[in-house]
Amino acid sequence: MRTDPVTLQVFANHAQAAAESMAFTLFRTAHSTFVKETEDFTTGLATPDGMTFASPRDLGATWFIGLDYANAVRMIADYRPGDICITNDPYSGYVCTHTPDLHMWKPIFWEDELIAFAVSHIHNTDVGGAVPASLSRQLTEVHQEGIRIPPNKLYDQGRLNQALLDVMLTNVRMPEQNYGDLQAQIAAMNTGERKVHDMVRKFGVDVFRQGVKDLLDLGEQQARNLLRRIPDGDYFFSDYLDEDAPGGVPVRLALNLEIRGDEAILDFSGSDPQLQSSLNVPTGGAERHILLMVGYTYCLYSLDPTILLNGGITRPARCVIPEGTILNPKFPAAVGMRSMTCGRLQGVTIGAFQAAVPDLLPAGPAGSAAIMNVKTIDNRSGRQIMASIDPITGGAGGWSGGDGADGSGANSSFLKNTPGEINETEVPIKVLRYGLVPDSGGAGKHRGGLATLLEFKVYAPNTVVTARNRDRTRFSSWGAKGGGPGLTSSFWRNAGTNHALDLGNTDVVALDPGDVILVTACGGGGWGAPWERDPEAVLFDVAQGKVSEEAAAADYGLVIRDGAIDATATAARRTRMAAGAKATAFTFNEQRNDYERLWTSESYAALTEILATLPVHWRHYMKRRIFAAVEQLPASARRGDGSDVQRIFRQAVQEFPQLRQALAAE
Amino acid sequence: MGYRIGVDIGGTFADFCALDEATGRLATLKVLSTPDEPGREVIEGLGELGRRFDIRPGDIDYFTHGTTVGINSVIQRKGIRLCLFTTENFVDVLELARLKMPDPYHLMSQRAEPLVTRERVLPVRERILADGTVDQPLDRTSLRRAFDRGIEMGAEGIVVALLHSYSNPAHEHEAKRLIGEWAPDLPVFCSSDVWPIIREYERTTTATIHGYVQPRVALYLASLQAALKQAGVAAEPMVTKSNGGVMTAELGKSACLQMLLSGTAAGVIGAGFAARQAGLDRVMSLDIGGTSADVAVIVDGKPSYGTGETVGEFPIYIPTVSVTSIGDGGGSIAAVSQFGVLTVGPESAGSTPGPACYGRGGTRPTMTDAFAACGFIGHGNLGYDAVTVDVAKARDAMATIAAKLSRGVEQAAEAVIQVAVSGMYREVSKLASRQGVDPREFALLAFGGAGPMLGCFLARELGMRQVLIPTAPGVLSALGGLIADIRNDFISTAYYPLSAAELGRLKSDVQSLTRRAVAWITEEQKFIGSYVLQPAADMRYQGQSFEIEVPLQLDWIMAGDLERIAAVFHAEHDRLYGHSNAKMPVHVVSLRLMVVGASPQPRFATQARRDDRPTPAKQIEVYLDSARCRVPLYRRADLGHGHRFASPCVIAQEDTTICVPEGFAGSVDAYGNILLSLGQ
Repeated sequence: MRTDPVTLQVFANHAQAAAESMAFTLFRTAHSTFVKETEDFTTGLATPDGMTFASPRDLGATWFIGLDYANAVRMIADYRPGDICITNDPYSGYVCTHTPDLHMWKPIFWEDELIAFAVSHIHNTDVGGAVPASLSRQLTEVHQEGIRIPPNKLYDQGRLNQALLDVMLTNVRMPEQNYGDLQAQIAAMNTGERKVHDMVRKFGVDVFRQGVKDLLDLGEQQARNLLRRIPDGDYFFSDYLDEDAPGGVPVRLALNLEIRGDEAILDFSGSDPQLQSSLNVPTGGAERHILLMVGYTYCLYSLDPTILLNGGITRPARCVIPEGTILNPKFPAAVGMRSMTCGRLQGVTIGAFQAAVPDLLPAGPAGSAAIMNVKTIDNRSGRQIMASIDPITGGAGGWSGGDGADGSGANSSFLKNTPGEINETEVPIKVLRYGLVPDSGGAGKHRGGLATLLEFKVYAPNTVVTARNRDRTRFSSWGAKGGGPGLTSSFWRNAGTNHALDLGNTDVVALDPGDVILVTACGGGGWGAPWERDPEAVLFDVAQGKVSEEAAAADYGLVIRDGAIDATATAARRTRMAAGAKATAFTFNEQRNDYERLWTSESYAALTEILATLPVHWRHYMKRRIFAAVEQLPASARRGDGSDVQRIFRQAVQEFPQLRQALAAE
Repeated sequence: MGYRIGVDIGGTFADFCALDEATGRLATLKVLSTPDEPGREVIEGLGELGRRFDIRPGDIDYFTHGTTVGINSVIQRKGIRLCLFTTENFVDVLELARLKMPDPYHLMSQRAEPLVTRERVLPVRERILADGTVDQPLDRTSLRRAFDRGIEMGAEGIVVALLHSYSNPAHEHEAKRLIGEWAPDLPVFCSSDVWPIIREYERTTTATIHGYVQPRVALYLASLQAALKQAGVAAEPMVTKSNGGVMTAELGKSACLQMLLSGTAAGVIGAGFAARQAGLDRVMSLDIGGTSADVAVIVDGKPSYGTGETVGEFPIYIPTVSVTSIGDGGGSIAAVSQFGVLTVGPESAGSTPGPACYGRGGTRPTMTDAFAACGFIGHGNLGYDAVTVDVAKARDAMATIAAKLSRGVEQAAEAVIQVAVSGMYREVSKLASRQGVDPREFALLAFGGAGPMLGCFLARELGMRQVLIPTAPGVLSALGGLIADIRNDFISTAYYPLSAAELGRLKSDVQSLTRRAVAWITEEQKFIGSYVLQPAADMRYQGQSFEIEVPLQLDWIMAGDLERIAAVFHAEHDRLYGHSNAKMPVHVVSLRLMVVGASPQPRFATQARRDDRPTPAKQIEVYLDSARCRVPLYRRADLGHGHRFASPCVIAQEDTTICVPEGFAGSVDAYGNILLSLGQ
């Protein structure tokens, strides 16, 4: 049976209404700033197998379309009306993917038949563990990341499991916040149940059962239609996180996107091994794990925003993620900061799709918004204050239809800032500057969006500023079709003074009274050759202070005389620029080009192959060792064809007899 | 005794309500609006009132009026050329807004281009801190530099929005004074004067929109005042406000921000009046016009209020009757996508060319055409004879999508109605969850040209058991303006704990708000009746990132009864969130004061009770609930007090058509309101 299309459309609206009513109920009744300002939560409806088929569109985090609760659902033996189950363990079924995310699912029954689950999650500000807020790059095992609750019933047939709740609240730093948010989440669950019952009353249980299947099938059909419009082929893209741990070497994320008819294979082999830091992304090797599919969903939706956003759209795709790598780590790898890796991974996916349809999708987004936190003491009251002050976001990439959004956008679109007036009122800091960074957008026919900047002064000793998820100090966003890369991000203590300190990718910094922090994000990549940009658009950028007159001349070939365009000189300059240009699909910043001269794709291929043969606990260590040795090679001795890496590895094996044992044991 | 006149000007029609104060009788009228020459329709309508009802200008002793001049200036971006002066190093306040994109799943999503683009945002060197202290005095040189640059760029007005001016407006006022010396005729708007709230983006965008529309609105009001005077209307004209109140047109010239959303607000006030009249205490109003469907929640005749309501693409943060758009209107176009999915809207045929059945050149199927194709409309003219309905054209238009859906014309038309209604269901569900109410406990009050067509269908979908159709559903905004109170809101940012130590500040802040409110109503409005002062505070637990508005009483504050104030906060918190904590310290974010001068409430004439059965004008054939059936068609004018009728049926009246599917029982009350109740 197939539901008739009009009924399905009406059914889809009712399913959306349920998911969205849950979201608004949760949002209205939640307590923590994370929910209210960052909207880091989601709600939805899932099938009896656990596949999400309805998610809210205008509220909540955007990463959870098609989240599959199946593994967690199976870990509970039996379900009864009134049950509510929870987990926040990243290694119990890979539904939850870092400890602050508390996931919840509630079975919905109709006449003794389990017909759906109401599902939701909230990012709790703190779930205990080694550091406040439970997240830090330098953690190495999931045990350090707070309390973990494997799938369990919080409510058993309507009866609260007080013991479980007590254990949970005893182990966190701000129990009243967790408790307030938990109540909001439960309210959302109950709203979902009520709405589903309303749906069954309206449509009948047969139509409901079939409608859910058909919604997922329709999503799949729509995705297949879109994939069919993308030319068959292999599309490769890779990008880097600046560091694999504090002070470390780069992390590479690589994707070979294989489009075949109406299907897609996302082959992530070639991405880094599992790390001894918390940047790992726990997926359990699932072929369509939600964290691997976010970029895919963004791309399909941007190609056609009328597509249904449900789990069906991921069905035509399959991911390849070898075990023991950053995208499929083995227990007990730390995973708290997986968001940082995921942000870059979304950019990599956008890059591969962009290579396939360069005229339909944008150049590189800035990605990786730094979440800034200040912990300080109010000199007047003596009170300690800890507050999240702002996400520092970069611009979106330009595309064939227009410039990238300034200041945020692309895969940072859901974040909100905090008004400076609120920050100064609640936290004893003075904001010196907040705004856009001129010339930070990649040049292009369609310019990349500008980055944001925040500069502030602190007043108390032992003030600690953290910049979680900060990256792109070294490798910036990428330009497409001749567009330029965005400007890299930066992080300074006392910039412009004689004791200025470049903090690079540091994410925790202790400050003295009077110190000034300056943090900037990365700009978005440009699309198309800059000398093809409408001269009036460049002039308007200059008038607005978004592009300097110098950059207009150097990057765009625009000659301005007395505030007006010198058409003749501009044309001459632009002709010269066009003549000297090489056509490439992507343009990277100089630091990345330098790096890839050292770390060629052949070297990476050799490294990936070698590390895949090692036991997991050797991989990150060996990666670091090989990196250090490659760094030491004199330029004249480098061949870059992979043999350098192989030679270094052979030497290392000589040095470690125990590695031979481990290899034999594999 | 004379007449009270309410006028509401919309995109297509200008609506008139005239209340005879002696008899309580209401006369209504629609004339085509004249957007190219705003104000002309008012004079034309007055002429028409004279011709049809013998109401002469000299008989008019109260005149209220709602206009779309302001909101249209924003939507069409036809306001004045503004410059914005901000604190140095904070010039991107409008560009960045609050960062979040309109469509967060879309990689190419963009925020709307600000009304003042960045080259016209100029920095001024100065700094005030959060507690109001001056960190750096206003630097005249930098102000002069900004001013010169602004003049060079052709500024027609200047908005001054400096950091923490809600806390200390001295620098904004000093800047305004200096600019006034340099250019006495240049309008200058200070953010702390327009609406002094904490949060720089919210305050700045609000002030910017105000400055953007003010000169044009003021000009319009001046010419209207002159025209009315010339026409012989002696009464001082009043204008409707977004907060559901009215103020004098004279004051509107400087407070025009408060008029921007007055049309929808007045409709809700009118709906609240009709709900009270019909004895319904919990009502959702459903206003469907040509391009949009709007819903508001009304409890005990009072609407809910919100801030951050949008004007075009921009939010404004003054207290506004909360109205939520839930979908599209009668002119919204139905289409079938490449995936075979039927969609209704957001594209709209608007009033030109309008639905295909209006015969004005529209060929694509609209929601109104769906109702025509099903046989509900087309049995007489619409909009007081302004529109003739051509059913054949509706069917032709509908046939284009019927083929794609492999359905008959009527089946396709019904599908359009079902899809539109389910879309509205989705939005009302969201609204209900946001406000924490259950639609099933409410009656639906349907008005606007298309509201009564869709009302019963939506009520059925939402599980609402009663639908009220007021006597004149096409002119409810005009009626709302006519009965609205004189009303104004004042705010001051507090940001201190609710504690004995801060009691002095609390009292003096409230006293200062009280002085301003009393001066406003007695001196500026010259209001002579009795008025009410209603204070409220936005409060939260210390450490919370959001606040809730709690109504207070002046004597609690003046008596220093902090316990009482805290208690109502805890109770409100408990009501909204299901828990509270009496031991947690409470923080006062801002203080509000509303002043209300009651307008004389009209007493509408009641009809004599009729004992006869209503007689249908004829039987018509409609396609309803997947079957063709014959149903009675009543003329609204033939239905009177005490009449009861069964469903299904259709009721036609001058300004709308009421569709009543199976299951509803109809009755008419003493004022002519129709109540449709769903049986068990």
